[in-house]
Amino acid sequence: MATILETAAGAGCFNTLLAAVDAAGLREALESPGPFTVFAPVDDAFSALPPGTVQTLVDNPPQLARILKYHVLAGAHNQAALVAKEQWDSLEGAPIPIRSVDPFEVKNATVVTADIACDNGVVHVINRVILPG
Amino acid sequence: MTPPTALAPEAATKPLIPPSTHRYADVIHRLEAGGSMLPDTPENLKQIIGIYKAYAVPMDFYWRDLLYIAEQVFLNPIPAFKYFISQEYLDRPCSYAGDQSKLRIWRGGEKAHPELLEFMARGETIRMPKLLHHLWHDRVNMEFAEACMQAMLWHQGMGGRFNDYLETDAYRANADRAIKAYFKRNPLMLGLYKLFPEMFLEKVKQLSYTANLGLFWEVMAPVFFEMSDIYDEGGFKGVPDAMDFLVNGIFAVAGRPIYHHVFIDGECFEIIPKSEGFTWLYEAALPYVEAVFYRTAPFRGTKSYNAQAGQVPDNQADFHYGILYADVFPVGSAGIPPTLLMQDMLHFLPPYLQDTYKQHKRGEDDQLIQLGITFQRSMYNVTSAVIQALRCALLYPLDDPNPEHLMANRRFFEAQMDRFLRPEARLPQIQTQDYR
Repeated sequence: MATILETAAGAGCFNTLLAAVDAAGLREALESPGPFTVFAPVDDAFSALPPGTVQTLVDNPPQLARILKYHVLAGAHNQAALVAKEQWDSLEGAPIPIRSVDPFEVKNATVVTADIACDNGVVHVINRVILPG
Repeated sequence: MTPPTALAPEAATKPLIPPSTHRYADVIHRLEAGGSMLPDTPENLKQIIGIYKAYAVPMDFYWRDLLYIAEQVFLNPIPAFKYFISQEYLDRPCSYAGDQSKLRIWRGGEKAHPELLEFMARGETIRMPKLLHHLWHDRVNMEFAEACMQAMLWHQGMGGRFNDYLETDAYRANADRAIKAYFKRNPLMLGLYKLFPEMFLEKVKQLSYTANLGLFWEVMAPVFFEMSDIYDEGGFKGVPDAMDFLVNGIFAVAGRPIYHHVFIDGECFEIIPKSEGFTWLYEAALPYVEAVFYRTAPFRGTKSYNAQAGQVPDNQADFHYGILYADVFPVGSAGIPPTLLMQDMLHFLPPYLQDTYKQHKRGEDDQLIQLGITFQRSMYNVTSAVIQALRCALLYPLDDPNPEHLMANRRFFEAQMDRFLRPEARLPQIQTQDYR
């Protein structure tokens, strides 16, 4: 199996996310054994944000890292485990609510592909960038 | 009123969710249609853009001087000259205007606005030394900016992690280093610090909020200037356009770092480092809106409040003395913080707004009241932008095909409107044009 970041790179639709991970200096952490659960927004999710949003974050790595950490949980959790709880604490610290089981919705994003198993965790592909609050 | 616009493709005329039964259902349906709490009329558009321009000029002074106070004046025991901003801070390049800006989405220069510089030189009187302008109170009313900062300091925890950080050991250690460095040649103050450390720390916390507000307004000034320029060019078709511009602006700078640096003998002390990850949206904008637009505190003035008679809420979260609830006439005749802002904005009204005021009520004689109510309308529009931005960030698109998502949006909008159910709220008044 591949790591989370190798899997994302191979998919070809996470270019913005991968660039953001590098800009935020999180590559090393996400290459570690973890395990992690990553809610990975596709490129279209980032491009749906108003102009300047991503640029300001990329220019400011600690702030970008905070938003990215909101997409990560400690531990490897598949869909069946995730829906058993109402919310999960993200690595950023703020909770991520599980709003719907079918369709599988995490906060205001829909999981378009769940349970992609990796060496160091699980990836769930989401259609929207999720934000704390 | 306009029903929700989210329509199923197969039934383009039938709304996916039933109408709201909230007292402000009309406003909620307008928000669901992508509008603002402020009705979309040419008169409202003219008023709010005109007042944004008049607000942006003093705001250009506020943010520069707030940062000057937080970063340079710092703990000066007798800060008599804290409003005498240095040339360095007047020339300080705005992070979001000017060619040096990394995010060049708003035009406008990097240095202090020319209209501000002209006013600083002449005031309402004549050219004279800065000290005389200051003593004659013929100047920008920085007291207003400090009152806003104090509202944020006093209400404290309103979302974000800024206030929590002020209680951490890391913050105390950083503040301690800066305090000792600042007073290293002043044994009397160092002695007082040893005796009353918490007092000094509290003062530093206030200065951290001063930096916070300065960094917040550093963004808003170029946004408001840009909106005025776009309107002058015929660019906004209606109030929703102006609101959407603000929504996009909120997102564009949401990740801007909020920090507090102090410069002592040329050395930078990072009391709140950028690496803490604090952001403009969570640690500045949202607390600001909560503290200043909604809550603030009862002002002393012609309108007085009796806490024993229950006229002041027990719970700080129920405070409702912000501009969204203000009865502008008594508030505006008491020489208290909102009046100071009105006086500041009066100096920079665009001609089309001056003409409007001359045609209504008592003309030039009650311009301060009229512009205060215009300001109230404009802040309902800014609050609408914040509500729409939060809906966009945390909930669902307005044209989402899923009825459950639309109901989640509905509950959010209704909860926001619940805050305007109390009788002091001016939301009903701003629905008509004869409220002036």
